[in-house]
Amino acid sequence: MKWNTQDIQLFIKEKEYIDTVVIPLLPVSFGEDIKQTVAMTEFISLLSGQLEKQFKGRLLMLPGISYLKSVTEDKLIADVQQWEDELNSQGFKHIFYITSDSDWKTVEEKLNGSLIWMPSIPLETMDDQYKNSILEDQVKQLLNLFVKKWQNND
Amino acid sequence: MSKNRVSRRQFLNYTLTGVGGFMAAGMLMPMVRFAVDPVLQAKGESDFIPTKQKIDEITTEPTRVDYTFEQVDAWYTSEESGTAWVYKDDKGEIVALSPVCKHLGCVVNWDSDKSNPDHFYCPCHGGLYKKDGMNVPGTPPIAPLDVFSFKEVDGFLYLGKAEPR
Repeated sequence: MKWNTQDIQLFIKEKEYIDTVVIPLLPVSFGEDIKQTVAMTEFISLLSGQLEKQFKGRLLMLPGISYLKSVTEDKLIADVQQWEDELNSQGFKHIFYITSDSDWKTVEEKLNGSLIWMPSIPLETMDDQYKNSILEDQVKQLLNLFVKKWQNND
Repeated sequence: MSKNRVSRRQFLNYTLTGVGGFMAAGMLMPMVRFAVDPVLQAKGESDFIPTKQKIDEITTEPTRVDYTFEQVDAWYTSEESGTAWVYKDDKGEIVALSPVCKHLGCVVNWDSDKSNPDHFYCPCHGGLYKKDGMNVPGTPPIAPLDVFSFKEVDGFLYLGKAEPR
């Protein structure tokens, strides 16, 4: 399900089937690494779109959390934990984060949800068709990850 | 001097009819054009989308056929991709099934669940479909998979719209 009015209507109706949320974590910076953060954000946005397509019926793709790279780690983690509390209280069983920002990898164990870290790929030089097929390949690799997580908890 | 002299009256008649004719035509032509416009409207180059799948390479095993088409949202055109599961049935006829699960819209895979070989399997809630796309009773989906209309152009498969059964 996407975070739009049409999909949310279905979500409200079929709530018991949708037990998974995915939150894209999107870094924003205006310093030297501005280009990198843009590439990461762009890549993860595209990837989350494809991912949503594959698992439309079981996951809710939230609008991403965009955060400033200049903010301290502790504050970021506290923010994300707040999201986790809310989502857990709403009855979601599985929380996934998807990001290209490797800083999250070091604080992974402080989060309850599963962190998926995908290195960003320079997409700006590719034509659309190639871009799509690469993204689809990436999603195929993620497929197993999701299915396994679901099977372990079912 | 020619022998048939044109009289002043004739000359005026000719010119006035000529000019009048042009004016009448100038008014009538757009009207006629508007009236017949729906007939001349281009049909949007049919609704069939070309794929890279050759017809004679289709086997009895369902294979993934990807295609891309341009989707126009108002003034914004984006390249969208789609997929179909294509195979030949026992009679040798081509079947093209939509991969979108009829339960909540996940993408189904052929033969991906080990405990249910030779079925279309939906990883989200375990929906199962037989090879012909019929849903297996007792699993979440309540309808069979949609079927694409298709045609053959120069040996390649062209897919139309996916229609529910």
